[in-house]
Amino acid sequence: MQSVIGREAREQFLNVRGKLPDLVTACVGGGSNAIGLFYPFVKDRGVEMLGLEAGGKGTGLGENAASLAYGTPGVLQGCYSLLLQDENGQIQETHSVSAGLDYPGVGPEHALFMSIGRVRYEAVNDDDALAALAEVCSAEGILPAIESSHAFAGAKRYAKNNPGKNILIGLSGRGDKDMPTLQRTLLKGVI
Amino acid sequence: MSAADSISTAIRTAKSKGVPAIVAYITAGFPKREGFRELLAQVASAADVVEVGVPFTDPMADGTTIQRSSRVALDQGVSLKWILNELRMYREAAKTQTPILLMSYLNPLLAFGIDKLPSEAERAGVSGFIVPDLPLEESDSLHNALASRGIALVQFVTPVTPVERMRVLADSSRGFLYAVTMTGTTGKNVAVPPEVLEYFSRAKSISPVPICAGFGIRSAEQVRKLAPHVDGVIVGSALVEVIERCEDPAAFLNALRE
Repeated sequence: MQSVIGREAREQFLNVRGKLPDLVTACVGGGSNAIGLFYPFVKDRGVEMLGLEAGGKGTGLGENAASLAYGTPGVLQGCYSLLLQDENGQIQETHSVSAGLDYPGVGPEHALFMSIGRVRYEAVNDDDALAALAEVCSAEGILPAIESSHAFAGAKRYAKNNPGKNILIGLSGRGDKDMPTLQRTLLKGVI
Repeated sequence: MSAADSISTAIRTAKSKGVPAIVAYITAGFPKREGFRELLAQVASAADVVEVGVPFTDPMADGTTIQRSSRVALDQGVSLKWILNELRMYREAAKTQTPILLMSYLNPLLAFGIDKLPSEAERAGVSGFIVPDLPLEESDSLHNALASRGIALVQFVTPVTPVERMRVLADSSRGFLYAVTMTGTTGKNVAVPPEVLEYFSRAKSISPVPICAGFGIRSAEQVRKLAPHVDGVIVGSALVEVIERCEDPAAFLNALRE
């Protein structure tokens, strides 16, 4: 079910560009939208994949929601995966400017893909995600969700180092729901 | 007698006296770390088996009472390591031999280390484990590790467990079989309708180990109604609330048998 987004995106990309993308990116909280986008590309060896987690405001426990970047193995809600936990196995509070990425674990397929090197995962901090959101607004007239803005920020970082590549970015949601957060952050003092 | 058998024996002995065994649950370190062993002694004096809860941040099988007691315990830094140490000291001084089980979600056990858990549990006098988020199919390594020291791993059945599945769970369960009264979390008052009583009787006829009914047991009336169908009852949230109100836990447990 979740992979419809990936199957459609793959087909459309082939139709529009005549080839597969060089990179596919998506934001990763619990990881459902990302796995849906990634899955149909797993066997396309030439396609790089990059998942962007919520780097929040720092690397310490409780400052982010990046389970793949900073987590350790454990079991939560029936899944053996990477978790943000303390040395006693207690699950830790997370922080991200985006509510949708604010989860202390991650779907176990992502932990697997990371461990076998099929997908790379990086963290994007709150400020970079918000800056990407503003840029997508002004450049494209699209208001992306703060979650999805992590994918845009990661794609931009990749593009700077890899000019001329074709990148597929998962725009997993719209940002209308984020206006209260944006009023407290990006738009503070503006409106 | 193995540690696991000491649980079954305690339940059968109580049941043979005409009332279901009382399995009493308390959250370790609730309401305070200080005085935990004294509280445990009071509860053990009135119960046939004691379940000590290892607090966890995400107790998905528990209702609001045990979520609250777990949070209070965690805020005071209660950990599995602290609990095992307390239990070891308790055992050295204890007057009663009431078997103790640990009820823990899987992750604190994994963090502690499954390799050293059985020997440390044995040293602390723990007779069994109840791990509500560990399905049977994933339980081999823990079951076998504990079995090497004779320690029980208790399995669960619910009113919607098919008979064939119930048979497999009962065969694997040690100490007793935990028969959940309903679909849902702990702490709600359950009515115990006739079809649920039939389910207990079915579980009891299938199970080689005693069966204990748990989730939502709060009153002597419920215990009386369940008595012909089960070997024991598990009382958790209601007891935690008694402790929360600073009432006498032993008096509450004794009254359940009336």
